[in-house]
Amino acid sequence: MIIFALCLAGVWIADFLPIALPANVIAMLLLFILLVFRAVKPVHIETTADFLLKNMAFFFLPATVGVMEHFDLLKSSLLPLLVICTFTTLLTFLATAYTVKGVTALQNRLEKAKERVVLTGKEEAKCRN
Amino acid sequence: MQELISSPMFGLCLSLGAYLAGSWICVRFRLTLVNPMLLAAVLVIGFLKLTNISIEDYRTGADFIGMFLGPATVALAFSIYSQFEVLKKNLLPVLAGCTVGAATSIFSVWGLCRLFGLSSEMTVSLLPKSVTTPIAMSVSEQLGGIAPITVAAVVITGIIGSMLAPLLLRFVKIGNPVAVGLGMGASAHAMGTAKALEIGELEGAMSGLAIGITGFVTVILAMFL
Repeated sequence: MIIFALCLAGVWIADFLPIALPANVIAMLLLFILLVFRAVKPVHIETTADFLLKNMAFFFLPATVGVMEHFDLLKSSLLPLLVICTFTTLLTFLATAYTVKGVTALQNRLEKAKERVVLTGKEEAKCRN
Repeated sequence: MQELISSPMFGLCLSLGAYLAGSWICVRFRLTLVNPMLLAAVLVIGFLKLTNISIEDYRTGADFIGMFLGPATVALAFSIYSQFEVLKKNLLPVLAGCTVGAATSIFSVWGLCRLFGLSSEMTVSLLPKSVTTPIAMSVSEQLGGIAPITVAAVVITGIIGSMLAPLLLRFVKIGNPVAVGLGMGASAHAMGTAKALEIGELEGAMSGLAIGITGFVTVILAMFL
């Protein structure tokens, strides 16, 4: 019930929001905020959320079947579509993975530098003593 | 006969039956590359073509199923929340990785579509293809794309990503489970996550997190297109 009510709230908010944000995504954000601030507890929505998440693939079936209306369009650009999907997917994978790796390495280096500052500080204090 | 077909129950039963058959085939033949939904879609399309039943008749009932997509998208918040601790621990790498990933995906798709001379309608349908289907559909519709094409592209991307990314890992050493997981989730959404779970638990959790965050970043980026 909470989830469905939030969906409705999402549609309502999307209506008067000046930016074009999809209603479902607004509702998703709302639920996340409610969960973080413990206004909604996981027990309240667990059963429904699990049901929805587990059967998500099934809910897409009608949308996928809609592809049959666009067969001509798909057929005429099948090869570019496959090339685009393959290339961009791998590129995205590498870009994400290397960014994460880089940021983690940077964080580690900063932390070590901090530790060193603390350590040298302590040693100086020792020397003074 | 026409009465039977135009009843909402027809679309519902056909969808359920096809999905059950798809699931059964996947389990029976241990198919990992195609998922039950894809098989079910092929079955439904084949059935409608063979019997010459119009897609409108199918939609009378099938639209009820599609209605659940909204709530299912909202439920994604719950799955991000269950990874909240992991998110807090790796906040900066996760946000940076997903943002770069989403941007890379959008710009590379846009560039290649231009290169191949695809129509703008087709281009916006493909733009959100690396994010999870419910968000991809919302973004595509918002930009004036064709939702079914987007769904097809998302599924193809998932299959390609979950198939080729582990292969790619053999050639490039990333050696950081957080990075691998986030990469899989950001590029190949739920199907990448399923594969990431096979590689390791941390990879899987990270990948699941990446689905939600990349989706959200994509929505934000799409607003400026």
